Amino acid sequence: MFFRMITGAFRRQWKKMLMIALTVALGASIATAMLNVMLDVGDKINEELKAYGSNITVVPNSQAVMSDLYAVEETETKDEFLKEETLGEFLTIFWANNITDFAPVLDTSVNVNGNDIQLIGTWFDHHFEFKKKGTVYQRDTGIINLRSWWDITDGKWMDEAKLSGDQYAMTGRKTADMLGVSAGDRITVKSSKGTEELEIVGIFESGDDEEDCIFTTLSVAQRLSGAEGKYKKAEVSAITSPDDELAVKAAKNPDLLSGDEYDLWYCTAYVSSICFQIQEAIPEASARAVRQIADSEGKILEKTELLMALITLMSLIGATLGISNLVTSSVMERSAELALMKAVGAKNGQITFLVLTEIVLTSILGAAAGYFMGYAFAQVIGQSVFSSAIEMSGMAAFLVMVLIIAVTLVGSIPAVRMILRLRPSEVLHGGH
Amino acid sequence: MNKKQRMFLRMVLASLLRRRSRMIVALLAIVVGATILSGLGLIYYDVPRQMSAQFRSYGANVILTPSDDSYMNSISIKNAVSVFPSDKLEGYTPYRYENSKLNNLPVTLAGTDFSSVLKTSPYWHISGDLPDGNGKTLVGKKLAEKFGLTVGDGFSMLNSFQITDNTDTSALPDYEIYTDPKTGEKFCDHTLDLKVSGILETGGSEEDYIYVTLDDLSDLMLSERGCDIVEVSVAAREDELKSYLDEINKRSDTLSAKPVKRVTASESTVLSKLESLVLIVTAVVLALTMICVATTMMAVIAERRREIGLRKALGALDSSIVIEFLSEGLVLGAAGGIIGSVLGYLFADAVSMNVFSSSITFRPLLIPVAIIASVTVTGLACLIPIRSAVDVDPALVLKGE
Repeated sequence: MFFRMITGAFRRQWKKMLMIALTVALGASIATAMLNVMLDVGDKINEELKAYGSNITVVPNSQAVMSDLYAVEETETKDEFLKEETLGEFLTIFWANNITDFAPVLDTSVNVNGNDIQLIGTWFDHHFEFKKKGTVYQRDTGIINLRSWWDITDGKWMDEAKLSGDQYAMTGRKTADMLGVSAGDRITVKSSKGTEELEIVGIFESGDDEEDCIFTTLSVAQRLSGAEGKYKKAEVSAITSPDDELAVKAAKNPDLLSGDEYDLWYCTAYVSSICFQIQEAIPEASARAVRQIADSEGKILEKTELLMALITLMSLIGATLGISNLVTSSVMERSAELALMKAVGAKNGQITFLVLTEIVLTSILGAAAGYFMGYAFAQVIGQSVFSSAIEMSGMAAFLVMVLIIAVTLVGSIPAVRMILRLRPSEVLHGGH
Repeated sequence: MNKKQRMFLRMVLASLLRRRSRMIVALLAIVVGATILSGLGLIYYDVPRQMSAQFRSYGANVILTPSDDSYMNSISIKNAVSVFPSDKLEGYTPYRYENSKLNNLPVTLAGTDFSSVLKTSPYWHISGDLPDGNGKTLVGKKLAEKFGLTVGDGFSMLNSFQITDNTDTSALPDYEIYTDPKTGEKFCDHTLDLKVSGILETGGSEEDYIYVTLDDLSDLMLSERGCDIVEVSVAAREDELKSYLDEINKRSDTLSAKPVKRVTASESTVLSKLESLVLIVTAVVLALTMICVATTMMAVIAERRREIGLRKALGALDSSIVIEFLSEGLVLGAAGGIIGSVLGYLFADAVSMNVFSSSITFRPLLIPVAIIASVTVTGLACLIPIRSAVDVDPALVLKGE
């Protein structure tokens, strides 16, 4: 009988039920889209912030520099290097997948046509392979992604895979003007250790000191500075979590953390824990957070996430109010029907159960449809803003379901109770 | 005519007042819609300004450098900086660099204005305090490690002048002149005593410098000269910034202004993404909310088919029924729009205070937009069910089919 009444209601009142389902679906799609975008926006913005370049620099340990300094007082500071093999260690640390790009840097001063110029050897767009304990790590990386603000005004970015040999260079606008060269020209670069003939692939504008430099491949710079197989500094760009109290505490001294705190810190992608892991992997190096980038990233991320959370909250409140509003009104509308049921002897509990079953079933159908609509909206947002898919979280789906059922119940129970409190004769008479 | 208008007014008002619970349902739906419209609208318009201010945490986005080999004096700096509107200018910091010696090792000294330095470099991590006057110094972390300096330590910087025949010795009457035994060049030593008030950590080249006040640096170098570089932080977008810089470069022939491309270019990349994110989120949520408002309105009106049938049976014209229902809808739409824009403003302001700790800019234009939008949506939503009710034979409607 109960089943027949329910199916009967759906068959006869399908228009009203459809209206409820449609409203619920709209609300659910807002909730789904917003929750998923909100949960994913941190990662997306974090990737965008990589435009600012590296947030970690790795240099030789300062202890080594110090001992050197005191041994050779009064002379020029001797250069310290890291071995090229150590670059592979970036790919072996716990948070290796968060390291989006890295590039070694080796600078030396050279002479071109009588002008003293700073020459920087690095990776541009480099395919890097590293073998350790039978595992092969691979990564395409270099400064092409670490210098997003460079404008190539002549020629193009250096593509290391397509060029044969290594005698190529990119120069800053200022250097190019000073030397009177353009893309395709060759320059002769001299240093105390040797001479190299370099072809200029591209000329860039960067708006900083790097415009005064010549950028070339790492191997050329190594030969010119007599530091074969070595580099001076590495720039690392990593996706990090904003610093919080734990990270600040850890940054002072990781040894002061309790065991649980240490584990949590180590397994969170704080800039300090990534630096710590790099130093663990390369004992002779010191990894430092570039405060300008790392701190600002944290701030921007925090603000964006909070903003999105509040917009989501606003949309959720709107969606739930809309749903509960409609549910209440649709129950009120059925006062005559409910009163009639009561008049023919139905118990309050039975009527409430019947109405709730109808409405909750409708809502669940609506919510399911809304979830897929919301999925589509989230992907539209992801593709049009970030050109990448929004990751759908299971938590959001669960949350939307619970929210919709709760809202439906909250919207209908008071209305049903109100109607049942009235005397059937009054309702049927139409007096209220 | 007058009587007819009065009756019309009474019918609309009575309908709104008598059917209170239904009307509250409809009004609530419109208020929710209008609140979301005006709230998200305000946030969308204010996000670029507020976010741009957040991006200032990346520090200076403009640098001023001398256009020739001379230095910039404070008057030309002030003139240049006055081009930026004062509400957009976060701050500017002059720097003068000199080489000096500490423990006989060469170090670079930077003279600056400590009162504004954190405005152009908000990312400086200082353990200890920022120097608050002359005789105090901020030491880069690397140098501090190298020389074993900690907060509170005192040290003295040494400046050895080479004295040539051209040197005006009257400017340095109190100093002892000595001759280098190897080369025969004449020198005089001048020292400056400093106390470490803070250690600076940035992860960048700043850690290799010792920062002192401009006065102290002039004292040590025995010369007052202008600055090598001025860092400026301006809360402006790339294209807007460019127009200011063009203005400065046009006005001044002693200094040139350049954008810090790393900061400005990256900022516009990220900011434009953020803007389009808020825009599309606003659009999606608004569209869905408006449909939601419409369905609720349709449900509320559809409920009154019986009433429409009765009126038609009593001889009311289709047009008068449509006009009456529409007016009811419009009154509701307008009321909902007004309440919604106030609530939306309150909500947007709360969001802005929470996220950016600054109040939102009120845009009066959004009130008429919210009202017009809610009136339009309500009107359209009413029209569909009324038309279908009006088109049906009254007998069928009254019978409940």
